Amino acid sequence: MKKLSRKALNRSFLNWFYGHLTCFSQEHMQTFGYMLSMLPIVDELYDSNEDKTKNLLTYSTFFNTEPQVGSVVVGITAGMEEARANGEDVDDETINGIRAGLMGPLAGMGDSLVVGTLLPILLGIAMGLSGGGSVLGPIFFILVWNIGMFLIMRFLYFKGYELGGKAVEYLVGEKANAIREAIIMLGTMVIGGVTAMWINIETSFQMLNSEGGVIVDLQSTLDSVYPKILSPVFVILCWYLLSKKRMSPVVVMLILVAVAFVGVLVGFFDPKLTY
Amino acid sequence: MTINVVQAALLGLCACLSSMPGLGGTVFGNYTLGRPLIGGLVVGLILGNVPMGIMLGAAVQIVYIALVTPGGTISADVRAISYIGLPLAMLYVSSTGLDPASAEAGGFAVSMAATVGTLGTVLFYGTATINLVWQHMGMAWVKQGKLKKLYLVDLVLPWISHFICSFIPTFIICYFGSDMVQIIKDYLPMDGLAMKTLFTVGSLLPAVGVAILLKQVVSKPKDFLTFFVGFTLCACMGLNLIGCAIIGGFFALIQYSIRTLSLRPALASVAVGADDDDEEDI
Repeated sequence: MKKLSRKALNRSFLNWFYGHLTCFSQEHMQTFGYMLSMLPIVDELYDSNEDKTKNLLTYSTFFNTEPQVGSVVVGITAGMEEARANGEDVDDETINGIRAGLMGPLAGMGDSLVVGTLLPILLGIAMGLSGGGSVLGPIFFILVWNIGMFLIMRFLYFKGYELGGKAVEYLVGEKANAIREAIIMLGTMVIGGVTAMWINIETSFQMLNSEGGVIVDLQSTLDSVYPKILSPVFVILCWYLLSKKRMSPVVVMLILVAVAFVGVLVGFFDPKLTY
Repeated sequence: MTINVVQAALLGLCACLSSMPGLGGTVFGNYTLGRPLIGGLVVGLILGNVPMGIMLGAAVQIVYIALVTPGGTISADVRAISYIGLPLAMLYVSSTGLDPASAEAGGFAVSMAATVGTLGTVLFYGTATINLVWQHMGMAWVKQGKLKKLYLVDLVLPWISHFICSFIPTFIICYFGSDMVQIIKDYLPMDGLAMKTLFTVGSLLPAVGVAILLKQVVSKPKDFLTFFVGFTLCACMGLNLIGCAIIGGFFALIQYSIRTLSLRPALASVAVGADDDDEEDI
């Protein structure tokens, strides 16, 4: 009965933690990072170099997912490789079926939970702590994000290893969906907060009477209806162009350049500066 | 403020570590060093003005608060944003005497970073293309059974790609940065139409950043209600983000409880059925 040592598993995890994207290309994406993290595993499980090579080549098929959450897949395959070395009926197709089957759902989960929710919340709090150029904000982010992410990825890797193929039902089940929806709700609220705190879109449009006195100051009128309303209006406009009109971010940015240009020409926007 | 050889080299090194397929790893490289807020701290340390670096970094950060790279397609390159855009913005802001905390200084930094960040996608595709060479060598080595070479392929050879696509461009642009900034100042007066547009674009671009983030999590218009709850808490009720996150967490908990309750009827009816059986037995 072969059992992977703690040392080999740690080595494998660290190879993934650091090396999953260091050698990225459009053709292979995370494949080489994956092979590198399976290397300590096959190295320990098999004796002859031929067996090592043959089993490592299982992982030479294309792999790409959200790498933080994706560390669970590496853990799962480590567990399955151990089972295979012990003579259990695990073939290349089973392993690659699980890898291919989890790639998509985990990428969606990781993009919305890690990059779409956790990262912006931490960055938002860090920006709040950076007022006046304080180093507190960046230091807060560096510590909390790095330590937290290391522990989360490590937990996922070893949980995946423990559960092996059984982990799949936990990852794509109804309960996982419920957790995901709840966290996204939190994330959406914080994004609303970020919009209020960090976007400052204001108009300088004014209507003047014949003596040059101000009759209507559009920004203060808007503020009395709903403060900072222009910020969410622009956010929703951009969201509409990105997700409903399927424009790329670069195109949307160019549209905003045009909006800014016209806005400055007609006096809707005016930063009022001189050298 | 000028940038000397050593400073330009340090910025180039940071660019190698922080880019998307970066040599600092994803967690510490791309998601830490690459974020403009952290880049602001690092660039500030290198150029000797930490508060200015962080203030401009924070302004740029909001545009790139959700820089995701789904399937390896990117719209902006973090190494160019943080280690070319921010140094140039710092040169400009310090030479014009703008207050770095002002919306205008932030707006200039945002426009500068967005421009180099978009052009910088060339660097991303360049790095990935050169990496193809190492990967083809690596695949051949693995098939020959030379497995340890994987360390060379995955961790060492990409440095060459980054030297070409990250170090050299960053070094050159930053080193000649103060000349470029002087040209901008000479030809584009701050109250002219071009600069006014630039500052205004700087205040509009964060909306794109937040919209990219929303696209990740909002699929139907109804979800905007949650967004506006968060907005109202901060804009009208004056909460800060931590307060907003706590209230959001409370709603998330309620949402989770309701959602798991709706999963339960199947279990509940099974339980009721079991009870019925028991009664019949009695």
